[in-house]
Amino acid sequence: MCRDKNFLLEVPYGMRDFLPRDAAIKRNVETVLAELFAKWGYNEVITPAVEYLDTLAAGSKNNMEKHMFKFFDKNNRTLALRNEMTTSIARLVSSRMRLDNLPLKLSYICKVYRYEQAQTGRQCEFYQAGVELMGNSDPSGDAEVIALAIKSMLQTGLRKFQVCIGQVQFINGLMQKWNLTDNEQKNIRIALEKHDLVKLAEIVETSNLSSTAQENLKQLPLLHGGEEILTKASAMANNDESIKAINDLRTVYTFLKSYGVTDYVVFDLGVIRDFGYYTGTVFEIYVPGMGSPLCGGGRYDNLLENFGKHLPATGFALGLERLMLALADQGKIDNLINSKENYVAYADGHIAEAIEKALWLRAAGEITELADKAQSFTEAEYYCQTKGYLNLVYLQ
Amino acid sequence: MSAENMEYLTVALPKGKVFNKAAALFEKIGYTANGLSDKSRKLIITNEEKKIRFIITKTADVPVYVEYGAADIGVIGKDVLLESAKDVYELLDLKIAKCHLMMAVPQKFKRPQLSDYANTRVATKFPHIAAAFFNSKGMQMEYIKLHGSIELGPIVGLSESIVDIVETGTTLRENELEEYAFIADATARLIANRASFKIKFARISKLTEDLRKIVNKK
Repeated sequence: MCRDKNFLLEVPYGMRDFLPRDAAIKRNVETVLAELFAKWGYNEVITPAVEYLDTLAAGSKNNMEKHMFKFFDKNNRTLALRNEMTTSIARLVSSRMRLDNLPLKLSYICKVYRYEQAQTGRQCEFYQAGVELMGNSDPSGDAEVIALAIKSMLQTGLRKFQVCIGQVQFINGLMQKWNLTDNEQKNIRIALEKHDLVKLAEIVETSNLSSTAQENLKQLPLLHGGEEILTKASAMANNDESIKAINDLRTVYTFLKSYGVTDYVVFDLGVIRDFGYYTGTVFEIYVPGMGSPLCGGGRYDNLLENFGKHLPATGFALGLERLMLALADQGKIDNLINSKENYVAYADGHIAEAIEKALWLRAAGEITELADKAQSFTEAEYYCQTKGYLNLVYLQ
Repeated sequence: MSAENMEYLTVALPKGKVFNKAAALFEKIGYTANGLSDKSRKLIITNEEKKIRFIITKTADVPVYVEYGAADIGVIGKDVLLESAKDVYELLDLKIAKCHLMMAVPQKFKRPQLSDYANTRVATKFPHIAAAFFNSKGMQMEYIKLHGSIELGPIVGLSESIVDIVETGTTLRENELEEYAFIADATARLIANRASFKIKFARISKLTEDLRKIVNKK
């Protein structure tokens, strides 16, 4: 068989290797996050990378199916690689954990897969860290999840970022009140999701809405700012659903004050995550200079119903590679690189002492590499330097 | 990505016929820079006082710069935007560079109805738009992607029809082609990166409102 060597050295589209430096940074970021999640009482779960397509599709956002990696099992049932973790956790909670005490606080750090155009910090295979809080329908749950997302950023060292909090029900409430036809509502939602303000204006202007309602609807994506935005939105809120949405945001904000994280928070009623999936408070985290959000999440009270267990829920997922890029950009990567401490080398006949010394240093918690053969002092010095170790320990 | 990113607003403008009109609009609201021209050899033109950077790129690249956040905002024809299907925010119809997307066929070989062209070849710079249009008509077509002088396609027997943008229709007439089906109107749009729009909200929304006033006055 003729094999093209170059072909053998390729990896499939959208897959990447992590070389030692990046792998170490990634591991350290993961460790920081895993410890933080655990401290907040979130228990890690691990689910298989492969699920039945039916399962993933039942919990998935609009149009995600075409972005899944699919294949068949031996009975020709369609399998897929998970495209996010929330659905797998919903399946888990609705089956294996259905009798557990509520609320459930679960976390994960793992690979997910999406077959789509590779973007900044996102290949087809990428890492997500996140939490799910299931069985809590109160704004206290929304606030906890948002606060934990912010703490995740801070704990890894990130300082410049902004959290935008929105509310899906506010818009749904407004639209119900204005008696828009289903078709109009659908088109408005699509325009809002895509943030196509030109299309939005076009739909609104050709509708039968009053001029105030038209103006309000066009202003929606521009409701962005501090607490004062809630007052503005309150003035627009005109039925129970939209008033409740704003009141919930106020409550969330009060709690976020207690968490001490409001410096990073703005309200943005134009933050629209998938309408078909999210049902309440939603949020996204942005960093300067990165074109896509680093982290996103929100309330999805209807998802678990698809798996036969009605439970209100909220959560977030953050992209690890994007977080790593942002940390590098903000000069916060140094703390996440292990400093290589000792290189232990030895002259001929001194290997036993060298092994003993290396074990001792490692037990003391220092990163220590042992030379793999006897070296002269000059050789040892050269190795120590080129491999980037701080100290040379030479036994002779 | 860099920290200075936060200070500057980066605007991507396309070379070519949209450039002058877009630059003129920005100038009216006080956004301009010394030596701002698409003939400039400098690729980035900065106005230090106003903290604005203009980058001048090939038309089809504008949505790419904006989607990745290398530019915060940009100006681009709706035709290019539709074709690129990029995830960017569309903020304002600038109502310049008005044209429309259409299907044209050689006058001599015009067929009675659209469905008579089913399973024929279409030459186009916009294969996605063309496919969306023909799919909506239930037609399967063969698409031939070209990068310019689309009108040549039917003349040399490369295709039975073309999908392209027209402004006045002069080029079509000169090449004995005739507009056969309208697809969509296209004008230049102001687009923004989704993260920039959030992080630099105050500047971008002020700029959008200022532009809106100028555009609506015309």
